[in-house]
Amino acid sequence: MTIRTRMTFWYVGTLLFSGLVIAGLSIKELHERHHRREERGESWEDVVGIFCGVGIPAALLSIGGGWWLMRKALAPIAMLTDAAERVNERNLREQLPRSGNGDELDRLAEVLNRMTARLNDSFTRIREFTLHASHELKTPLTILCGETETELRNESLTPAQRDHCASELDELRRLTRIVDSLTLLAKADAGLITLTLAPVRLDELVRDTLADTQMLARASGVRVELGECEELTVRGDPHRLRQLLLNLADNGVKYNQPEGLITMSLRRSDEEAIFSIANTGPGIPAESLPRVFDRFFRCDPAHSHDAEGCGLGLSIAQWIVAAHNGTIQIDSVQSELTTVTVRLPLLKPEAGRT
Amino acid sequence: MRVLVVEDEKKTASFVRKALQAEGFAVDVCHNGNDALAAASGTPFDGIVLDIMLPGRDGLSVLRQLRESKNATPVLLLSARGEVNERVEGLNAGADDYLPKPFALVELVARVRALGRRGGEPKSPTLRVSDFTLDTITRQAQRGGVTIELTAREYRLLEYLMRSPGRICGRMAILEKVWDYDFDPGTNLVDVYIKRLREKIDADFEPKLLHTVRGVGYVIKESP
Repeated sequence: MTIRTRMTFWYVGTLLFSGLVIAGLSIKELHERHHRREERGESWEDVVGIFCGVGIPAALLSIGGGWWLMRKALAPIAMLTDAAERVNERNLREQLPRSGNGDELDRLAEVLNRMTARLNDSFTRIREFTLHASHELKTPLTILCGETETELRNESLTPAQRDHCASELDELRRLTRIVDSLTLLAKADAGLITLTLAPVRLDELVRDTLADTQMLARASGVRVELGECEELTVRGDPHRLRQLLLNLADNGVKYNQPEGLITMSLRRSDEEAIFSIANTGPGIPAESLPRVFDRFFRCDPAHSHDAEGCGLGLSIAQWIVAAHNGTIQIDSVQSELTTVTVRLPLLKPEAGRT
Repeated sequence: MRVLVVEDEKKTASFVRKALQAEGFAVDVCHNGNDALAAASGTPFDGIVLDIMLPGRDGLSVLRQLRESKNATPVLLLSARGEVNERVEGLNAGADDYLPKPFALVELVARVRALGRRGGEPKSPTLRVSDFTLDTITRQAQRGGVTIELTAREYRLLEYLMRSPGRICGRMAILEKVWDYDFDPGTNLVDVYIKRLREKIDADFEPKLLHTVRGVGYVIKESP
């Protein structure tokens, strides 16, 4: 049965019902009044009062019935809207619920499901392409790196040739890092990476990273300070968490101004460890903030060669945080302070403090 | 030391063979899994460099077969995949070490050399290069009678370099052994630490000991 016929039936039914009630009550009242008027000779004005006394409740009944009716008729649409709202590139395989009764809404759900299935196919193809491309690039890269390195060891090279060769090798290594990062992200997308989880003392990782960051920052005169650093334990993959912290710290150095400042802190809030790292660099324009985690995104394309990164660092950071069931956020006040805040669930409420 | 290289990609096999030969290894090369099994069961090798992706029988299957037939030759796995999962799978199958592609030749050579050393060679408590000594028990560094203060990280880096004096240590191997990073962070972390160490142990002394091999890695030795 289509919605149109269904709604028509309901509508006619409600109308008939309320009409009958109104008519029935009115006729009954009128009949009685008519008798009484004949006995006492009263005027017809009371009829208005009768209509008010009976008509208003009947009208309210119709409104209530209509409201209930529409809600019932539109409930499947609301459900479809909610379900469609939840669709994103990661859950395309989930299907919208179907009533199975063959009405318009059921057909709509089916069409939407077919559409998400096609989208899912496209996403899968893109992911597979990235995965295969990054994999296929590895063999020629291995050969290029190996041959250039072999050439570099050739004793008969002139200093100029050696320089040229070494610079080529530097670029090849850079390319290798980009391909490695792409592979990592492609595998993460395809769900091919399993984290090796263990209890990790986050404060120790932060102190390690602090020492490394201070060394990295020496050349540009950037100061690195550690504020509060509570003893906190999370369940995580120590290698990935190290990678995350160094990645964020390295950004703090690269995108800082000379003689700038980096401040790190690790504190606890309820069931979460909150790591924050702030730098005094030029900051990120507000319109770029929503895109900083996008792959290969750069705030300022003109300066893409100043810093050595490849534009995948924050995407990887975001993946690592998400894989640990945490959240990452960037706030920036231009020319003042850019703060990255990472929240990770603590291992146990008590395990954090000693 | 005799090494078997199993790699189907001819060019890769060729430069691996050259690099190992240049370091004084005797090298045999196979291009597929079945030849590798035949070669490894016929000849006693000191180490096997085994690619995972091979036509026909793949590297992991060759490795499992070797271990099943009680062949304990140390194996270094090469893989273009290079993710933690494969590393764990390879090591579980009986590999002694694992190197993801693309690798630096210097890393490969260092790891093959380490395969040969596995379990052998007692570690001396005092490491010495020229007039610089590093006591691995007290963790004290001295040069020309002067005690040099080192941070924990600087000590670990120096110890790693001094365990193989005169040999080039690749940047990736340093990051892995000294920092416990299994990824290339894309920073110049190693370079800044080496620079700092130079200020500490080379600035006021002759001869210079820490040398950069451009594009390749670092080496600690007396002569440049």
